[in-house]
Amino acid sequence: MNRKEFIETLRADLKGLPQEEIDDIIYDYEEHFRIGLSQGKFEEDIARELGDPRNIAKMYKVSSKIDEAESNPSPKNLLKAMFSAMALGFFNFIIVLGPFIVIIALLIGMYGISVGLVVGGIGSIFGTILIPFSHYHVNLGFLPVTAVSLGIGLTCLGVLLFMASLYLTKLLYRGTVKYLKWNIDTIKK
Amino acid sequence: MNIQFKKGVLELCVLSMLLERDYYGYELVEHISKHIDISEGTIYPLLRRLKTDGFVETYLEESQEGPPRKYYTITEEGKKACDELIFEWNHFVQGVNTIIKGDRHE
Repeated sequence: MNRKEFIETLRADLKGLPQEEIDDIIYDYEEHFRIGLSQGKFEEDIARELGDPRNIAKMYKVSSKIDEAESNPSPKNLLKAMFSAMALGFFNFIIVLGPFIVIIALLIGMYGISVGLVVGGIGSIFGTILIPFSHYHVNLGFLPVTAVSLGIGLTCLGVLLFMASLYLTKLLYRGTVKYLKWNIDTIKK
Repeated sequence: MNIQFKKGVLELCVLSMLLERDYYGYELVEHISKHIDISEGTIYPLLRRLKTDGFVETYLEESQEGPPRKYYTITEEGKKACDELIFEWNHFVQGVNTIIKGDRHE
């Protein structure tokens, strides 16, 4: 591979990044070739020592996707970053993906429970208050005071659990971004 | 060499070189690859990330031959990160050396 082929491949594979960034990246490699050549090296040798331009392009792309997921948090951006990291061939993601899905499932479960608690709590409060106005006479075997306090308690618990879930979700997001960062910095020879 | 190098090591190499003086990319790559067996192309993505993280800054300087060269200079934040990395590295190497030398028979 000569200089032209290297640069062309790199440029083509960087597609999708902002043009300004691509130009800046290409500048580095042009400079690298220029100085190498001025020191009497051959284009082919310089290209070989640099490594596969396709892999180099992937490193930049994963990096930029992770930055995007960090500065612009959204599930979509995180998934994009994860998939591009997987495309780079980090075998450990297969090991990590299982636990990751389990954690997501647990979080969804926690959200479900907290919503259930709030709904149940509010139901208990209003249900009790509205009993005198209702045609039906339901007796759960609780005193109205007990039922209302129980309702308030459940609602508070639900809200707390919901906030805890939100916090854990944020933590998971940040942790994942950090993990991705750590991974792209693993350099294989 | 069939090892996976963790970023820390390369980052440490780049930052500690920049502690002495400013370098342009080629010099950094050449010096590091003289001592460590890596794909040279991986240094530039690392430099870019160090820049995004605020550990280094770049500036262009005229050279006698051809277009201006991109120089890398370390920031205060970078110096702090480098100190930490050097400390961690020494601690790690000391630990490994202790084990290799077989102090366990004491």
